[in-house]
Amino acid sequence: MEKIKTIDDFKLLQEMLVFGRNTQIPTIVISAGTCGQASGANDIIRITKREIINEGLTDKLNLRITGCQGFCQMEPSILVEPSGTFYPRVSINNMKRIIKAMPQDKVLEDLLFLDPESGKRIEKQNDLPFFKKQVRTILSRNEKVDPIRIYNYIENTGYSTLLKVFEKRDPNWVIEEVKASGLRGRGGAGFPTGLKWEMLANQPDGKGKFLVCNADEGDPGAYMDRSVLEGNPHSIIEGMIIGAYSTQANQGVIYVRNEYPLAIKHLTIALRQAHDIGLLGENILGTGFSFDIKIVRGAGAFVCGEETALMRSIEGKIGEPSQRPPFPTQKGINGRPTAINNVETWANIPVVIEKGAEEFSKVGTKNNSGTKIFSLVGKVKYTGLVEVPMGMTIGEIVNDIGGGPVGNAKIKAVQTGGPSGGCIPAAMFDLSIDYDNLAKAGTIMGSGGMIVMDENTCMVDVAKYFMNFLKDESCGKCFSCRKGTQRMYEILDDITKGKATLAEFELLKELAIVVKDTTMCGLGHGAPNPVLSTIRYFTDEYKRHIIDKKCDAFVCKELVGAPCQSACPIGTEAWRYIAHIQRGEFDAAYQVIRETNPLPSVCARVCNHPCEEKCRAGTSGGQPISIRELKRFVVDRFSQPQSKPARDKKDNKDATRVAVIGSGPAGLTAAHYLSMAGYKVTVWEADKEPGGMLISCIPAYRLPRAVLRQEINSLIDDNVTIKCDTVFGKDVTIDSLFDNGYKAIFLAIGAHESRRLNVPGEDSLGVYPSIKFLKRFNLLGEKLAKGQVGVIGGGNSAIDAARVAIRQEGVESVTVLYRRTRREMPAFSEEIDACLDEGINLRTLVSPSKIIAENNRLTGLELLKNNLGERDASGRRQPVAIPGSQFVMPLDTLIVAVGEQPKTEYFSTTKLNIDKSGIVKVDPETLATNLSGVFAGGDLVSGPNTVVDAIADGKKAAVMIERYLHGEKLQQPKLPQLPKIYIEAKTEEATESKSLTRVKPSSLPIEQRQKSFAEVNMRLSEPAAIEETHRCLRCDFDFTQPKKIESESEKLEEIKV
Amino acid sequence: MINMKINGLPVSVEEGTTLLEAAKFLGFPIPTLCFMEGLLPYGACRLCVVEIGDGPKAKLVSSCTYLAEQGLNVRTASSRVVKARKMIIELLLATCPQSKVIQDLASAQGVHQQRFRQEHDDCILCGLCVRMCEQQMMAKAIGFQGRGEKRSLGTPFNIKSEVCRLCGGCIYVCPACQLRCTYNQVENAVCNGCANLTPPCLEKEKFDDMMCYMEPCVACEIKNDKK
Repeated sequence: MEKIKTIDDFKLLQEMLVFGRNTQIPTIVISAGTCGQASGANDIIRITKREIINEGLTDKLNLRITGCQGFCQMEPSILVEPSGTFYPRVSINNMKRIIKAMPQDKVLEDLLFLDPESGKRIEKQNDLPFFKKQVRTILSRNEKVDPIRIYNYIENTGYSTLLKVFEKRDPNWVIEEVKASGLRGRGGAGFPTGLKWEMLANQPDGKGKFLVCNADEGDPGAYMDRSVLEGNPHSIIEGMIIGAYSTQANQGVIYVRNEYPLAIKHLTIALRQAHDIGLLGENILGTGFSFDIKIVRGAGAFVCGEETALMRSIEGKIGEPSQRPPFPTQKGINGRPTAINNVETWANIPVVIEKGAEEFSKVGTKNNSGTKIFSLVGKVKYTGLVEVPMGMTIGEIVNDIGGGPVGNAKIKAVQTGGPSGGCIPAAMFDLSIDYDNLAKAGTIMGSGGMIVMDENTCMVDVAKYFMNFLKDESCGKCFSCRKGTQRMYEILDDITKGKATLAEFELLKELAIVVKDTTMCGLGHGAPNPVLSTIRYFTDEYKRHIIDKKCDAFVCKELVGAPCQSACPIGTEAWRYIAHIQRGEFDAAYQVIRETNPLPSVCARVCNHPCEEKCRAGTSGGQPISIRELKRFVVDRFSQPQSKPARDKKDNKDATRVAVIGSGPAGLTAAHYLSMAGYKVTVWEADKEPGGMLISCIPAYRLPRAVLRQEINSLIDDNVTIKCDTVFGKDVTIDSLFDNGYKAIFLAIGAHESRRLNVPGEDSLGVYPSIKFLKRFNLLGEKLAKGQVGVIGGGNSAIDAARVAIRQEGVESVTVLYRRTRREMPAFSEEIDACLDEGINLRTLVSPSKIIAENNRLTGLELLKNNLGERDASGRRQPVAIPGSQFVMPLDTLIVAVGEQPKTEYFSTTKLNIDKSGIVKVDPETLATNLSGVFAGGDLVSGPNTVVDAIADGKKAAVMIERYLHGEKLQQPKLPQLPKIYIEAKTEEATESKSLTRVKPSSLPIEQRQKSFAEVNMRLSEPAAIEETHRCLRCDFDFTQPKKIESESEKLEEIKV
Repeated sequence: MINMKINGLPVSVEEGTTLLEAAKFLGFPIPTLCFMEGLLPYGACRLCVVEIGDGPKAKLVSSCTYLAEQGLNVRTASSRVVKARKMIIELLLATCPQSKVIQDLASAQGVHQQRFRQEHDDCILCGLCVRMCEQQMMAKAIGFQGRGEKRSLGTPFNIKSEVCRLCGGCIYVCPACQLRCTYNQVENAVCNGCANLTPPCLEKEKFDDMMCYMEPCVACEIKNDKK
């Protein structure tokens, strides 16, 4: 490479390079940054080169290997220029196909990006949802240049801005320009760059000045600086030469961490090339200006990103921050004036000069101009580097660019700014991102890490994670930072283990504020932010850990134990009965189930199995264990309910009397456990048979009546009296019960009133609320549906109603109408599948607007079509009606299943506290109402809910009523439920399961389901059940397994020693 | 001369004066631990924090390292300062409960509780010994190692330093390790920090006193005391 000595010569070179460029033939751009190489870009490069030669395409195709283009999740990716076609996740075989198709300008449809929202393939890079909203002024340059070829950079207008600066011959002009652009330091603190340069320029010359590029990027989850260094090192060099020229600095240092080998390699090459060509060194391009840059590699201490520590590190000393003032611009490296800017800031300098300050400041918001690169990682669909104008809202970045949540879990918060930053909750996602707004929200911009977290992320654990990082990475000079971070970690660790008290929580807050106040540098100052911001927005989560000993995200091991057990509202030890099934001990398995669940056969069929949602086999990427089916397998082996627990006091004739109102799962459970404790219980039921929702609403094909009746009868003993056909509020009242000598009352009357649609014509004949429809059929055998049936709603009762309707004679068709899409339907997914299997139509994105009736008899339903709009607070997208999209659907029967609420006319005559929708207000901890001795539970206090939650309420009510009757304190300290009993895994056969997928029970063939109420789902076979148990990860071993093995290995080691 | 205010009192000091010096001159007491006249201020213990600035820009800085500035408004005992100081003393007590210096500090500042899990360290890494060794003894025999919670004191490569003259200066200035010089009674030793600095006379049984170029040294005196 020949040294260029004048500006004109350089311009000539640039012209020649541009002239010699062949833009006619297509170019394959392979992104091969660290992310690309890690996903196999090197293989793709090799195969591409070979294929181009093999196919004889050397003069028909260009190949360019570049740094990261941003969409790191889709690496290795290929971009075809000039068409802009983007191929994500290219394999070697696919690469061959792409090259073969190139000469014909063919686009391989099947390899394009598949948009999961629309289900369509997208060709152009710029149309991808990930890229669409970005403004990529810096990152887009990455795909234009090959980082190790300076000519490539020069031909893409590289170093033109430097020439522009040299030709102006006015250093002050540059500083004024940078000041006017409003560019603020991209390292996180946001100090105006122009001001910093001015301060440096005003320092006396003396022995020279330093410019530093801070590439000590250490935040977990942030890697934008690395990508810029790898992908476009010359832009940094260009920025630094401009900076040096305007501040009369003569030495430049790029401080880069040694963990970035590719960045160091590309930088070293770029620096040598710039030196060889005459852009660095003495008398640059004949201007008389001299400047040189060297690389200093950092050993990876996080604190060395702090500017004073960074300067000590460059000097070769321990990286410890020192007191500011004096600021680096006054007294920096070796006592000489120094200006330190972040990689991204330097990369922005050529942009500022090229566009001009005015144009640059038009992007972004006032005081926060330009774009900012964020590394978007965590629980979002698309991860990678995103460059957006300042002022974009967090919601736009997370939901539009990031594509929203990956699975069903709702996004809870984003963490910005790395370990010194904080969390912003989802409720604040309309906050527009700039330095000042983030600071107000209690976090910082930092270098731009953005970690998205969902419901499966525990915020206490997040704070603990960062504190663990900080206690290791604090330099240790300031006592309050070193010990403060250690002690904060200690308390956080105690909280996640359930050992902390509220006093320690207060101490944590107190300590965090002191650490923030008393430390010397930015690291210590920001160190308490993860704690303070999570406390600020997620205090409830902390309290849940401390008081309730629960981690709702199922992260903190010492509180969760086995997830299946702690997810179960009644604490069923699923791991334990699964272990028994594996060993063939079915009786023992039944005992385990019955221990906690008085209605095992019911739950084995209709439970919503929260245990499976949290099963680690499922949350860690695979499929959860079919816990409910295994339970069904066990309970169905026994024709009679087995093993009632022993009663505490037998036949206590003058036992205290307790009244239970309602014989649903909550009422029955409470009655059963109170009876076991020796109380005389009377249960009042309004309908003609006990069972509540179980018998009146859940259809027989899901829960056969014989099974249900048997189970209910098993709970009725001499201490329990059931009185049916007695309406609470009419036949008995709270006062009359107390007058008759009942000492406590448990209200569990459920939610038996369907919500109304509130559209005109709702009272026409042929329109039924779902509860009425199901009750009439289940209790009286009346078949109300006929002809064409429509069911409005997306919950389980809508699906039940639809599946009951299609089984009734005289029904031609059944259509379920729902206002959002299937993905948002609250009904169980397997129920919807069964519903479709049985020939029921599902029509989504429609809302009813009018019921059409002739002679007060339903003839049809007018519907409006919907689109999905903005996300609401629940994270689901809201249906928005399309104006003028009305259409009429002819119907003979319409079933309205849009939710239920309790019937509470009676309560309004009592002193009981109820809310607008008829829900009885209770203390959730104790189920006590505002009336002494009156407790309430089940759907009456929660609104329509699951069977297992109702059972849990019943159990809790029994405990609380007993405490109440004994005059004990209702609320008592809680302990985490941890597995205690060790059951050895069966070892004769290979314990590893052959199958990775979860077992599915066989179901009744569709033909046999027609007009029949026979049970649809079958029990698992014994081999299938045992096979399934082998998939269990046995989370209980962490707590139950004797430490024998460990001590043996220790012994072995001792012997060796 | 620089004019500023300390606790509302106007004061003018020479350029280069630290806030600590200025406050002491006026008689405002500021507790310190890692500060010692004759050694360069380091700012490690954070006990000497004072509040500067006004309104939302008010902040705490260590007075031993912060130089006087024109028009500065310094508060040496605002509620924010006192709160921070007390918390730091609590942390100190939790770390080195047996240090008399720290106990005295706690009692002087009215700290009556220690709410953290008790540790029994013998070093708060104030760096006095390091600075003593470097700045007064011109030896640079000891220094800091590691960072964060692994930060510790030691000699290069944790072997006996060749430049150590066993002057004992490090032990003399230490505020926390009065118990440190247990020397050869390793089982009672609170720390191993200066095990590397142990005088050879204690290491080797058959040590030739006549060959010792340091005689008499601290170790000898302790030996004599024990006899």
